[in-house]
Amino acid sequence: MVVNSISFLIFFVVVFIVYYLPICQKQPRFQNTWLLLASYFFYGYADWRMVPLLLGATLVFWLLGAWLRREMDLKHTRRASHITTLSVVLGIALLVYFKYLNFFAESFASVLQAVGFQVSWTTLNILLPIGVSFFTFKLISYVIEIHREHIQPSSDLTEFATYISFFPTILSGPIDRPNDFLPQLQRVHVLDYPLAADGCRQILWGMFTKMCIADNLATITDQAWLSYDAASSTTLLVAALLYPVQLYADFDGYSNMAIGVGKILGFNVARNFNHPFLARNMAEFWRRWHMSLTSWITDYVFMPLNIAFREMGNWGISLAAIINLLVIGFWHGANWTYGVFGLYHGLLFVPLVFSGAFGKKKKLKTGSHGLPLRKDFLKMLGTYGLVTIGLTVFRAPSISQAFSYFWALLTNGTGSSYMDSYGYLYCLFAIVLLILEWILRDREYSNPAALLHNRAFRWTLYLALILLIITFTGKSQAFIYFQF
Amino acid sequence: MERTDIYSKLNEIFIDVLDLDEVELTDATSANDIEEWDSLSHIQLIVAVEKTFGIKFTSLEIMKWKNVGEMVDSILEKIK
Repeated sequence: MVVNSISFLIFFVVVFIVYYLPICQKQPRFQNTWLLLASYFFYGYADWRMVPLLLGATLVFWLLGAWLRREMDLKHTRRASHITTLSVVLGIALLVYFKYLNFFAESFASVLQAVGFQVSWTTLNILLPIGVSFFTFKLISYVIEIHREHIQPSSDLTEFATYISFFPTILSGPIDRPNDFLPQLQRVHVLDYPLAADGCRQILWGMFTKMCIADNLATITDQAWLSYDAASSTTLLVAALLYPVQLYADFDGYSNMAIGVGKILGFNVARNFNHPFLARNMAEFWRRWHMSLTSWITDYVFMPLNIAFREMGNWGISLAAIINLLVIGFWHGANWTYGVFGLYHGLLFVPLVFSGAFGKKKKLKTGSHGLPLRKDFLKMLGTYGLVTIGLTVFRAPSISQAFSYFWALLTNGTGSSYMDSYGYLYCLFAIVLLILEWILRDREYSNPAALLHNRAFRWTLYLALILLIITFTGKSQAFIYFQF
Repeated sequence: MERTDIYSKLNEIFIDVLDLDEVELTDATSANDIEEWDSLSHIQLIVAVEKTFGIKFTSLEIMKWKNVGEMVDSILEKIK
């Protein structure tokens, strides 16, 4: 049941009505129980076989959190550290079993074969639970935050289970933190009209970028990957340059819908993107791209590594950054392309660390006519180029195909071009999106309605967006990030 | 060493590492109050504090701090 479907709409209307019934608004627990039931129904609707796993993992981590706090209160420092380690190992084991076991075994088998051993390996038939990468990270952060004394363990299992399974974000994030989310479950939610209206605008914008931009750009990029042997260099270059916008429109579109649904229910869900293509170097890009994941990895991987390597100066920071980006890469899945993607980004951090540009957060300045400064604009273009190279590897089914694509792009010269007038129109959509990103850079999302002060104009624009969604809806595609 | 002595040394460290003109740290000061204090300069600050006071923090101690006051508590505990 995807967010942009009729079945979701029906589901959500029912959830909404019951959630705001006076009887539900008597206690946070009533609303939480209803949200929990709705979330498990939503998750079970996607794949009912995984409900016991979600329930079991939730219960185990809730008990671990309570046990950890008890040991901390008794000043059993060592045992508290062991419980935290056990929790992190359990969380990682869950991910490794479901996401990476076949990958490790196959890679190991091929290494053995390469050195002359005959091994036969049968791929295990392991189902990949939907959203496992997202809810596992929530479970791990809960225990670590208790250990760091930033939060108290949740005394209410319903509240904790609702946080883990919250249906707008269970399938594909954003990855909420217990520090921000659990307090929101401890109060009654009455309909906050301005927040809910903002949520609706955000959902509309998310649907537009996903269905009109991402799904249509997908027809161009998919075609390029299907026929890169015969396509012209220019076509391949255009397709490669369009992929970052496609991925952004897809995942930011999804995120906007998830955040918007959360807002209608009165929740502030973590932000995932902050206009990433306005970044002037790779460090800034990663502070703006998939922020709920990168901030999670910064807090629980990068900072502890940085602290451990602190005597090594810039080399320590570089090493921590490379490991950090490798983790981000492999988090996407069990494929060497993601490893190369992570390593590539990690290595790009090294010059930034040594030049001192790594941590600097310079505000974007506006030049004449409201345009970006020339120097900044050139840096944005350069960063976009580097991002494109990385995402081409990310998009490739295998490393060898990534190289073949690059090779074809450089050597094909003239060849067939499959861009028709629709193709050019979709490119125009992509360019308009990038321009809006600049104009609305101080806003949470780039819905141009924010620029219109006249109510009639705003409603005309909403209507136009709805019509565009209906008219230009591409061949409906699954959200790219559902596979992770 | 008194708390005020630690603060005067910390002020010097912060000015030196973060390249500030002046700073007046209090128990409540946190990274949100000083623009130059980000995750990377945080590491440099820790290294400088450890060298100045001749102490070593554990990772968990560092990750627990929410403000300068808690950092000073850790320093006092170590140099007791």
